[in-house]
Amino acid sequence: MSAAPPDAATRWLDIDITVAQGPFRLTVAWRSDERFLGVFGHSGAGKTTLLETLAGLRGGAQGRIVVNGEVWLDSSRGVRQPAERRGVGYVPQDLLLYPHRDVMGNLRAGHRRAVTSGRTAIDERRVIEVLELSDLRRRDVASLSGGERQRVALGRALLSGASLLLLDEPLASLDLPLRRRILPYLVRAGDAFGIPTLYVSHDATEIRVLCAEVLVLSAGRAVALGPPDDVFTGETVLPMARAEGFENILRARVTGMEEGVALAEVEPGCLVRLPGRGLEGAREVAVALRAEDLILSVEPPAGLSAQNVVRGRIREIRETTPVLDATSTAPQQASPAEVLALVSIGETAAGRGVPIVVSITRQACRQLCLSPGRPVHIIFKTQACRILAAR
Amino acid sequence: MMAVDSQLVPLLLSLKVAGCATVVILPPGILVGLLLARRDFPGRSLVETITALPLVLPPTAVGYVLLRALARNGPLGERRLGFDLDLLLTWKGAALASAVMALPLVARTSRVAFEQIDPRLEAMARTMGSGPLRAFVEVTLPLARRGLLAAALLGFSRALGEFGATVIVAGNIPGRTRTLALAIFDDIQTGRDEEALVLVGITVALAFATVWTAELLMRDRPRRVPAGLSRTGPPPA
Repeated sequence: MSAAPPDAATRWLDIDITVAQGPFRLTVAWRSDERFLGVFGHSGAGKTTLLETLAGLRGGAQGRIVVNGEVWLDSSRGVRQPAERRGVGYVPQDLLLYPHRDVMGNLRAGHRRAVTSGRTAIDERRVIEVLELSDLRRRDVASLSGGERQRVALGRALLSGASLLLLDEPLASLDLPLRRRILPYLVRAGDAFGIPTLYVSHDATEIRVLCAEVLVLSAGRAVALGPPDDVFTGETVLPMARAEGFENILRARVTGMEEGVALAEVEPGCLVRLPGRGLEGAREVAVALRAEDLILSVEPPAGLSAQNVVRGRIREIRETTPVLDATSTAPQQASPAEVLALVSIGETAAGRGVPIVVSITRQACRQLCLSPGRPVHIIFKTQACRILAAR
Repeated sequence: MMAVDSQLVPLLLSLKVAGCATVVILPPGILVGLLLARRDFPGRSLVETITALPLVLPPTAVGYVLLRALARNGPLGERRLGFDLDLLLTWKGAALASAVMALPLVARTSRVAFEQIDPRLEAMARTMGSGPLRAFVEVTLPLARRGLLAAALLGFSRALGEFGATVIVAGNIPGRTRTLALAIFDDIQTGRDEEALVLVGITVALAFATVWTAELLMRDRPRRVPAGLSRTGPPPA
């Protein structure tokens, strides 16, 4: 973890807490000025405990919580603001919509606080429009689908006059296609309303799409902190993120459209071809690419049907280990068949480019004599690119 | 006309006594129900047991305890308080006796009503700026409404049927403390079987209507938290 910079007074989030819960202990020190922060970790890592401590729903926290300059907790001075004085918009994993109110009644649940606190900048009509809730306004919450409930809970938090949004696995209860459909709503809400947000997830892809900084928790301790692209390709976290198959996230600027294929620029001079459906009129796009779907070549390839050939340089060859298990004390065994090549694309004199993880067999790695510093080409089909969000 | 009067008077008196008893016992009954549903405190099982006692004690025993407490020299008597509560041998005394006897039903029914509500819903209201009391009024009270109404109805029907404690505290004074239950007893004792039967019919009808409604209120819960979304982690402290 990096040391806190001296100008800590300007950070909107400044926490240094310890929460003891029976044998479990959560210790987090975090200062940040990024608006969208991610918290990543497996279940039991302490993610929900962190959110509930910030929300003021858990007693027994020691240390300091300062948000936007307001002291919510300072146990050394006996300051402990109750939940109702903190100004959070909490979306718990099970949403906890009010069953006795309709959708509109839920959206207005925090209206009084929004008015009394003066944080009314977020307009109700705008939230209803962005989250596409207008047809649901008079519906009973019990009759909503999972994705609809999710959007209502998000809307309720946005309209509650919160100065900090706490989203706990907002997509975990949804099936995968639905998750990918709701994700753009989160991106849009983040863009449109800009409330500082803590986003908890065990899905690395979501965090990489949404967040500018990520804290990784394992068994109550922070094991990594930094920009998601670096953290998730780092040595400690990559094995954790690989649990559900590692996805590389490319952010690109859409530059054109040709026969249903979109052209997009990842870095200056680094063009990719993406499936064009849904990208008409989009300016920016986030794309997922599975590490297993990528091919490496040491020569410039010719005569391929695959449309994307991106030049890069090998940063690192890494042994793979099974998924990091926080409870296991046994030494982690390297996987015999597979290695990971960490390739930088779009490197310039100024920037180190975007790290891309490519999963290859150990045999292939040996045959191509791959080693750090070696220029390579990454090859992938347009169809292997999955559009996550566009704006 | 005489016969109708003799049935109407105890009926109206019974409705008045049971109505007042319900009003009197509802606040403490709901409070006990809420405490038992939500809080863990020292002496919890003691409170549980004491509130259940009127359910199993002979009503005459409860009546006698009240009688001693309210007597001139008792802890709630004229000498101790400096004034007379005027409960002995009055309809108000009958209401108090019925109220005490109705406490277990009111407390238990409201406890069940509160237990069916996820306390984390109130926690959500707290995060959105509502203090503990407002959160209770905004979330828990409306969600418990039907169950609390059932508690009131069950308490009312229990008070309507009260006999033993009432006769000890309030006596059996025609027109003043002779409720339906006492009138039935009186009619049987004096061999007026037909009058007794009419009164029994009235009480059965009343009890049936209230208990039926209470059961409906407790069973029919059209708005519940959608199933399939399980909570994770321990509840907030």
